[in-house]
Amino acid sequence: MGSEKQTDPCFAITTDGLRKTYSRPFGRRKVTALDGLSIQIQKGEIYGLLGPNGAGKTTLLKLLLGIVSPTAGSAELFGKSVKLASSRLRVGFLPEDHRFPPFLTAMQTLIVYGRLATVDKKTIQEKAPKLLEQVGLNQWSDARLKEFSKGMMQRLGIAQALMNDPSLLFLDEPTDGVDPIGRRQIRDLLVSLKGTGMTIFLNSHLLSEVEHVCTRVGILHRGKLVRTGSVEDLTRVSGKYEIQIADDQKPLVTESFPDMQFSDRLDEAWVRLEAADATELNQQIDRLRNSGVQILSIVPQVRSLEASFMEIIGDIDGDEGGIPRFDKQAEVGESTDTESGS
Amino acid sequence: MKQIGATLLLTFRELWAMKITQGVFVVTTVAWLLLSFALNLDVIEGSIAALRIFGFESVPTEVMRDAVTGELLRDAETGNVLREALSLDKFVLGINQFVFGASYLFGTLLGLFATMPLVSGFVEQGRIDLMLSKPVSRAKLLTGHIAGVWAIVAMLVTYLVVAIWLVISFKTRLWLPHYLLSIAIIVIMFGVVYSIVLTIGIWMRSTGVALVTAYGCIFFSGILAGKDQIVPQLTDFTAAIFIGLYHILPNYIEVISIVAQLGSNESVNSWYPLVSSVLFGALVYGIGFFIFLRKDY
Repeated sequence: MGSEKQTDPCFAITTDGLRKTYSRPFGRRKVTALDGLSIQIQKGEIYGLLGPNGAGKTTLLKLLLGIVSPTAGSAELFGKSVKLASSRLRVGFLPEDHRFPPFLTAMQTLIVYGRLATVDKKTIQEKAPKLLEQVGLNQWSDARLKEFSKGMMQRLGIAQALMNDPSLLFLDEPTDGVDPIGRRQIRDLLVSLKGTGMTIFLNSHLLSEVEHVCTRVGILHRGKLVRTGSVEDLTRVSGKYEIQIADDQKPLVTESFPDMQFSDRLDEAWVRLEAADATELNQQIDRLRNSGVQILSIVPQVRSLEASFMEIIGDIDGDEGGIPRFDKQAEVGESTDTESGS
Repeated sequence: MKQIGATLLLTFRELWAMKITQGVFVVTTVAWLLLSFALNLDVIEGSIAALRIFGFESVPTEVMRDAVTGELLRDAETGNVLREALSLDKFVLGINQFVFGASYLFGTLLGLFATMPLVSGFVEQGRIDLMLSKPVSRAKLLTGHIAGVWAIVAMLVTYLVVAIWLVISFKTRLWLPHYLLSIAIIVIMFGVVYSIVLTIGIWMRSTGVALVTAYGCIFFSGILAGKDQIVPQLTDFTAAIFIGLYHILPNYIEVISIVAQLGSNESVNSWYPLVSSVLFGALVYGIGFFIFLRKDY
């Protein structure tokens, strides 16, 4: 099953021209879920993968975990082909919509999945109670899973994913169906893992979650990686700045610079500026100061990740109010032969 | 081994949780308890003087035959067939044939019924992908599952057959250990039928289709068992198809005769039904593994 060739273990995840086409019986059109995707994720990164439904996020995750096989291309975890079971030795995974056997207790679940992850008995006995405590389920260790809420199941799912002390953690919609408190707990847990050097690959619809946790973000759309970068890169609006002035100077600015616009912020007065470069920015600041305006702070204008995401997807799909189109283009069949993922 | 052990454990727990193991255990216990309390024999000089079942007494007899010609012996005056007390050996062989034939059907069909939902649970979305994400090969995962199912069925069948064998042996004072071979045959034939359930379950993820196919094969093996009577009635072409199917498909019903022959301490006429069934099972397991190793979940 695959070669033992080890390439670059500096990267936790490497894919090269990864492509997955689902064939359908009776000659119906094929569905291309991933189209020549090439990514590299360094060790210790918290990588968030965004994309509308059907973009291929879960397929990518399944390909990386050997749950589905690629139609073309290759993928490696820590330099080992994903075709090898041993590539998953240091990997934890929380699938979307996972179904743990309901007849197991929380503790039994950790024992069974820990043993599947080659963790020895002694370590399981030591680690399982700690993990249950970490995810807030220590009171429920002997309760059957059929009594668990969705949020508890998610937290247990994270605990089982951490049983083998993974160096790489895959989370597919970890806060899906979880109430705000549970979501916050999961987010705090991820933030605490951030400092451990663990690489985390996060698939999520919840952009605020990704924004808070991830160091780098990729946007997948129709099987292609359409944008990647840090959260700051994606949310920065180039050439736009906001300048905070004293609240009582608003009339002065309005009078002296009728074209200037204010940002909508409560209790604070922020003026928006557009400048092609630093020289132009300084000139505008000078004009304000010469008019007697007191400047309190200057920041580059940013928007939410959600706004950036909608714009990027909207740009690709054509301007339809920023709402991604869920058309039939995913069902491209033989027409998607280009391998231009990244 | 750790990983195979984990899938084995999971399979055990699932059957335990479904209360099927306990159900089969209770039914089996009731069966041998009834047999041990209800059946009483009076043996005099190697023949059964009286047989009591639930307090109802009878004296089992058998017809007498000429030792040389084998013809029935008759009373010279009345012309009635002469009868004598049934020998203990014959009684035990008869009862064993019945009990172990029934155990074969009971063991395999109940085992099949008990384990049927396991495959759909095993390949359920959200569960299989989590197992496949672990550092364990697909071959090991499936082997662990099959080993778990076989082990449970083997335990239940062993309990059933050994308990009944002990009861009958204690009652009759006749110890025939070769009956215990039927344990292996029952487990093997369960395994053959389970290969169908497993492969269909993995391929189509449908318990219904797997059930219909497995029981269809069992039903069809009953027709195939009548080969000697049916084939002469067919045209050459249909006869060739019938004979082909006889050799390809499992000969589930015909294997009963092997169990019965073992039970009656006779030498087995032909092991072919068992051998061809095992080959069929091996082939179907092979197909199941082939599909499982390549399937996207």
